[in-house]
Amino acid sequence: MRKFTFILMALFIGTIAQAQSDYTKSLDGIKWVKINSTSDIVVKSHSSNELLIKSAQKIETPEKAKGLKLVGEGGTDNTNVGFSVVQDGSNLIVHNLNKNNKAEIYLPKNQNVSVKTTWNGDISIDGFSGEIEANSELNGSINITNVNGPITANSLNGGLNIVFGNVKQDLPISLYSTNGSVDVSLPSSTPANITLSTWNGNVYTDFDIKAEEKDGMKSVLGRNINASINGGGVKISMKSTNGNMYLRKK
Amino acid sequence: MEKQHVFDQIPDYLDGNLSKSEASVFEKHVENCADCQKELEEMQAFLNVMDKEVHTPSDKLKANFEAALEQEKQHQRKVVQLKSKSSSNWTGNVLKIAASIALLVASFQMGSLFQQRKVDASIAQLQDETNQMKQTAMLSLMENQSASKRIQGVNYIEEFERPDEAIIQALANRLLYDENDNVRMTAFEALAKFTSSETVKNTLIEALENEKNPSIQVAVIQALVQIQEKKAAEPMKKLLDKEDTQPFIKDQIKAVLPSLT
Repeated sequence: MRKFTFILMALFIGTIAQAQSDYTKSLDGIKWVKINSTSDIVVKSHSSNELLIKSAQKIETPEKAKGLKLVGEGGTDNTNVGFSVVQDGSNLIVHNLNKNNKAEIYLPKNQNVSVKTTWNGDISIDGFSGEIEANSELNGSINITNVNGPITANSLNGGLNIVFGNVKQDLPISLYSTNGSVDVSLPSSTPANITLSTWNGNVYTDFDIKAEEKDGMKSVLGRNINASINGGGVKISMKSTNGNMYLRKK
Repeated sequence: MEKQHVFDQIPDYLDGNLSKSEASVFEKHVENCADCQKELEEMQAFLNVMDKEVHTPSDKLKANFEAALEQEKQHQRKVVQLKSKSSSNWTGNVLKIAASIALLVASFQMGSLFQQRKVDASIAQLQDETNQMKQTAMLSLMENQSASKRIQGVNYIEEFERPDEAIIQALANRLLYDENDNVRMTAFEALAKFTSSETVKNTLIEALENEKNPSIQVAVIQALVQIQEKKAAEPMKKLLDKEDTQPFIKDQIKAVLPSLT
């Protein structure tokens, strides 16, 4: 009997502990989830229609901060996991307030997601079919894998690494980096119109793409390569000012 | 002997169809027979009436008629018959055929020309309508919440050879105020094709002053240098003095600034 009570207690405590490190919110009526962070952020898909934030490590609140609330750029912690989650119309604004907190965020597969990191935050997004916007404003890199929706990604110093699943939609895909490389893997049968442009970098690809030589027509943006593969289709624009470009067949 | 009357021989006698012997027998009989004599006289008188009644036109009448006809002919206008020269001139025939073919072709051409004008007019109208629709679609897409849709809207510029001021202004707003770097970059690329426009020049100069993304900065600098826009020199100098300007941007400005001042 004592053993049984002990197990019950353990389960109960476990549930409480679970509740403390995870945060969930229903996504009914939410079109866009906009995530801001200064540190690394990992966004993955799951099957339920809710936002789930898992703190990767236990939040260590300093002794002196006991009884106080974490306040950051994006607001105050209203989730107990170091995030501020505020609904603004059909947008859900999610701020990672803790500058050292690495978090995993789970969202439904078809959710439109916008992720922005400042400072050193790396962005990692996996397994979505909705629209994705990723912006790394300073040093972070962007890794987007197993996606087939429209993507808008932009980084300053970090590289872009995008691995597409089947691209079946026709909204444009735009992948720009200033100093980082742009590395894209695309199923070889994807019908697409591709523009590759780099200022100081080089372009490498195993697709059948050739640079068009235009005599006397110096492009404003340096070297532009326009090509259509598999008969043309979704517009994919890749640009790196100072980095290399890699376009791979998957 | 019974008296033989010769009534039935009277017409033949009068016509002179009886032979001499028959005629003498007939005359002998008529001298002796009062009935036959009376009959002959009556018959003779009847035939004389017949002769008088049937006039045959005399030769004089005929001559008069002929003269009158001749006169009438002369009074009438002469109808000149156009004798078609049954010429064996084959070049003439070829020319005639050529001329008719030319006429046929010309009329066909004229017809198709008029038709073409009509078609052109309706095409122009359609073009105008589709342009209007495209413009509306473009402008509304550029206001969409999705960055990808805004980029799609900006990309619609390819559909316009000569975009009007409303489109240029909408693109300028994207370049200056869009929160998404990719949209701003795409808007710049779209505007870079119309640097002859004064609005575009001013927009680029304004973008140079406010833009934070180095990729867009360097592209704007390049575009302004290409059109030799002297007004760009000031904002470039400001960028040189700014601490957070990327080193490669500063290098770029140092390289191009002498050509503008």
